[in-house]
This record gives sequence, C-alpha cells and structure tokens, in this order.
Amino acid sequence: MFEWIQFIVGTAFLLTGIVIFAIELYGSFHYDYVLNRMHMAAFGDTVGIGISLLGLMIISGLHFTTLKMMLVIIFLWCASPVSSHLIARLEVTTNEKRELHMEEEKE
Amino acid sequence: MNVLANVKNIVYMGALIVLAVMLMLCLLRAVLGPRVADRIVAVNMMGTIVMVMIAILAVKMEEGYLVDICLIYAMVSFLSVIVITKVYMGVYRERKRIRRKEKDV
Amino acid sequence: MSRKKTEREYKRSFAYHFFRWLNGNEDPLMGQVEMKPQKPYQETPEEIRRKIRERNALFLRFYGVVKSREVRNFERVYKIASVIFCSILIALLLLTVSYLPPVGSVERPINNEVAQRYIEKGLEETGAVNIVSGMILDYRAFDTLGESHVLFTATVTVLILLRLDKKKDSKNSSPMERTEIDDQVYEPQNDAILQGAAFILVPIIIIFGIYVILNGHLGPGGGFSGGAIIGAGLILYLNAFGFQKTERFFTEKTYKWISFSALSFYCVAKSYSFYTGANHLESIIPKGAPGAILSSGLILPLNIAVGLVVASTMYAFFVMFRKGGF
Repeated sequence: MFEWIQFIVGTAFLLTGIVIFAIELYGSFHYDYVLNRMHMAAFGDTVGIGISLLGLMIISGLHFTTLKMMLVIIFLWCASPVSSHLIARLEVTTNEKRELHMEEEKE
Repeated sequence: MNVLANVKNIVYMGALIVLAVMLMLCLLRAVLGPRVADRIVAVNMMGTIVMVMIAILAVKMEEGYLVDICLIYAMVSFLSVIVITKVYMGVYRERKRIRRKEKDV
Repeated sequence: MSRKKTEREYKRSFAYHFFRWLNGNEDPLMGQVEMKPQKPYQETPEEIRRKIRERNALFLRFYGVVKSREVRNFERVYKIASVIFCSILIALLLLTVSYLPPVGSVERPINNEVAQRYIEKGLEETGAVNIVSGMILDYRAFDTLGESHVLFTATVTVLILLRLDKKKDSKNSSPMERTEIDDQVYEPQNDAILQGAAFILVPIIIIFGIYVILNGHLGPGGGFSGGAIIGAGLILYLNAFGFQKTERFFTEKTYKWISFSALSFYCVAKSYSFYTGANHLESIIPKGAPGAILSSGLILPLNIAVGLVVASTMYAFFVMFRKGGF
C-alpha cells in the first residue's frame, strides 16, 4: 500500500512539473521581445525542474540517487540566474534600437 | 505487483513522449528568433528539458549512475553561455570602436 | 630640314670633321660636345666579381641566414633518412596486415572467443566491477598509453601554431601584451554576480570531478570523463576571476611538469606489468575485494594519471585559443 501512495504523490508532482514546462513553452512564443521571453525561460529552469525532480525523488525513495538529484537541483538554482544575468547584459550592450521595445530611466 | 509495474511503465513513457514533443518546439523557437540572445535562451531551455528526460530514464531503468550525466549536462550548458556572451560582447565593442574611428577620419 | 645627304653620310665626310676641329667643343646647335666619342662599355672580370660580392653581402644582411657546416650536412642526411624510415615503416605495417585472417572467417577478432572471455573472466582477472574500465586499463593498457600521448601531441601542435611572442618587437611591446590590453579594454571584467556564483560552484565541480575519477572501476566514469570535468571547472574559474589570479597557480611550467610526470608514471607502471607478464611471474600488486575502492591492482593510479593529463590539456586548449599563451 505504501508503494502506491509513494507512486501517486510522486506522479502528481511530476505532472505538475510537466505542465509548468508547457506554460513556459507557450509563454516564449507569446511575447515579443527577448527579455520577456527570458523571464519565462528562467521560470522553467528553476521552478519547473525543481518540482519534477522532487517528484522523482519521492518515487525512488531513500537511495543514493536521491542525494544526487538534490545536488542537481542545488547546482541549477545557483547557476541559472547567473546565465540570465549575462544574457540580459549581452542584449543591453548590443542592441542599438532599444527605445522601440523598452523605456529606460535617464540617469 | 504486476499492475503497479504496468502503470509505472505507462506513466513514464507518456511523460517522455510529451517532453520529446516540447523539445522539437523549442528547436523551432531557436530557428525563428531574430536576435542572438533568443537563440541562446532557446538552447538553454532545450538543455533543461533533456535533463528531466535523463532523470526519468534513470528512475525507470533503476541505474543510479545516469544522474551523473544530468549534472555534467547542467555544468556544460552553463559554461557555454558564459563563454559565448563574453566573447560576443568583446568582439562587438571592438568593431564599434573601429567603425567610429573610420567615421571620424 | 631636308638635306641632300643623310646624317650618317655627313658624319663620315671631311667637312664635318674639319668644322668640328675648327669650332672646338662648342657646337651652335647642340652645345658642348665631346671631340672623341666614347668606347662601348665592356665588363671586366674584376667588375663581375665585385658585383657578385656585393649581391651576396646584400642577401646576407637581408635574410640573415648563415648556415654552418654541421647544419648543412644534417639537412642532406635528414632528407635521405626520412624517406628510408617512412618506406621501412610502410613495409612493416603492410606485412603485419597481410597476416590477418580474411574477412568473415571464424578467427577474426569480431567473431572469435575473445569477447566472451572478457565478459566471463573479466571480474576475477582484473578485479574491477566495471568491465570496460578493466579492459581499457588492464587488458589493453598499451592503447590507452598511445591515446594519452596523442592528447599531449595535440597540445604541442596547437602551441606551435597559436602562440604569440613574448619578446618585444618594433613597437616596444610584445604581441601578447597588446592582446592582453585589448582584452581588458573591450571585455566586461569583474562581474560581481558571476564571481559570487563561481565562489560556490567551482569547489563543487572539482570535487565532483575527483569523485568520478576515483570511481572509475566501480561505475561509469574513469580518467577521461573525470579529467574533462576538472578542466571545465578550471575554465569557469578563469572566466570569472581573470587571467592574473589564475596564473598564480597554473603557469606553463605547471602544465609541463604535470604532463611529463603523469605520462612517465604511466610508462613505468605498465612496463612492470609487461615484465611480469612476459616472464610468467605473479605480480606483487594485490587485487583486493571487488567493490571496494582500493582494489583491482593498478587501475586506480592509472586512472589518476590519465585524468591529470586530460584536465591540463583541456585548460591549455582554452587558454591557447583565447589569449595565445599561458
């Protein structure tokens, strides 16, 4: 019985994670500008994969594999915002027609 | 216990098929995007989806060592974004300065 | 002005000579003329020798190549010897290939009993749970030695092609200094967010790489993949903190010493195995219990050596393409 409960709870988390990935994919087609799309991509990178791997951890139980998946989550939560920061910096320095898409505060 | 094994198989295969379809749509986004940053973001998204697929396979086949590959994949995609942005920004600024010098002269 | 005689005939007549003698060096039409015409120019042997000497001296100053006698002899011998060596090598290899059994027969390595034996007896003969590691580092360790040398050769080749000079040339600074100054002006440096992330992530990556190397004989991994992970960690450190901080612990001397000591340790360790195997002796190194870390004889130290070579090669490649030198 315990295995069934474990499996159902884990599957619920996993399916939530896949739904979040689908929302991320729809969002990246809906918006116009690159910085808005990057917001949706970061959404999937952190929350989506966190909840999916949490579900898989519950399914596999107390095992060495569970600890490795937790290490993957920690690594991604530290590394993904830095990637977003660097891509945003690239976009701001190379785009010469910024005023079409966004407003800047004059310093 | 046969029922449990069958249900598990169906759930894993369904999740894998849905994720594979999403992977193809991400590739479409990479081809369409008009700017460079669009494509970098799309490739990053593809890497994350592949990571979830590898983790599902690791649980399905009950081989614990496939999760190592997940970690390596995350590290490689992170490193590639860093190197590409640095090199691109450096080359862009250098060319801009050369163009400005030619305009002044 | 039309004349009755042509100019040639006039110059041969008596009146021309007489009036020239009468008027002296001055002619009313042409100004100062010479009384006696010059002889045509003839080259003496002295002049020819002088010209050849001048041309040689000019070449010497221009091209600056003075070959001593030893260098010239060596070049002659080298051309002949290289052709002989290559033809002997080709003949030997063709002779070896002709001894192989024909395609499709039972004795070919694909179809015979070697693969079966590796699978059945791999665990007890090598002591490694991971049969692939046992095969590349125990049954066929000679091939892995060649592979590590290929990595080393590739780095040396890239070093020859891409290195910038450190000597100062005509503009009073070396090419490498100029590229460094260009990089500092144009590229964004000292990104605080990236430095904070690298502060946490680089130790995790390097420890994970060491874990993958040490568990080569128990699970998938081994020297090559672990070395690649450590190399990636070093590249991340370089990108976050700049070149000066990295040069505190990884210079050209470090790279040379690491490659040299790792490869020579591999050679020495494997020659011991060859010696005991050829003379049908038992080797001293214990096999241990399968599944423990300290087991399977020589596979663990060889994994560490291969991992070090691969890590330093990956870092060297990145720095070569980025800056042109260490």
